[in-house]
Amino acid sequence: MNPTDKTAPSQTASLSLEFDLRHPPEKVWRALTIPELLNEWLLPIVELHLEPGASFTFKAQPQPGWDGTVNCRFLEIEKHKKLSYAWVVGDFLDTVVTFTLTPTASGTRLFLEQSGFRPEQKQNFGGARYGWKMMGGKLVDLLARVS
Amino acid sequence: MQSAAESENKIFQALADPSRRAIFESLTQGEAAVKDLTARFDISQPAVSQHLAALKDAGLVDSRREGRCVYYRVEPRGMKPLIDWISRYRAFWTERVGRLEQLLDKMDQ
Repeated sequence: MNPTDKTAPSQTASLSLEFDLRHPPEKVWRALTIPELLNEWLLPIVELHLEPGASFTFKAQPQPGWDGTVNCRFLEIEKHKKLSYAWVVGDFLDTVVTFTLTPTASGTRLFLEQSGFRPEQKQNFGGARYGWKMMGGKLVDLLARVS
Repeated sequence: MQSAAESENKIFQALADPSRRAIFESLTQGEAAVKDLTARFDISQPAVSQHLAALKDAGLVDSRREGRCVYYRVEPRGMKPLIDWISRYRAFWTERVGRLEQLLDKMDQ
């Protein structure tokens, strides 16, 4: 495995990773969408219906400050190509995880993005989301000053 | 873990308010006194002071007094809990995709 950090400097509030897998997209797709397989590599899954808008839940081992629940909802499903779902933890983490599969000579390039690390305030939902995106560049400035 | 989660919550709460975020972003350009910020934004001086207190409580800004003026500046280390939090997810996904590869090796075509 050869992970490459593809996070653009202006998007520190999102995470982008790229992996080259030695297996075809059809097979990777199964591992991303079949509950028994997801259990084995990602997190224990409660129920899953592969259709846009369907909700499902990951139940991880509870940790201090986290009951182990990840609430998810399918946003985009493009068979063998793209899978995107909301990844929500408690009332403070509301992100989107996107897997994009591209066939390569040796297998599959898996592009994984988790976007939307931002504050979520119920009374100002839209504003906070937008504002957090705007914060991205500033975070980088600050990081530069820290180091 | 618990205290890290608390710091994150404080940072998020502090930055979730648009006025506070605007003040914070403005301070990333350089140090400023309360009166500078009051002039820069259409917010009353007590409101600016209140926002600055919240930012300071979250560890995002620091202040120093010079005569009758208090100057505020960004505390770069204040963002660290947030950056750590995102880094945790980077580590999480890297580890999980490692497991995915192992699983793929075991699976039938």
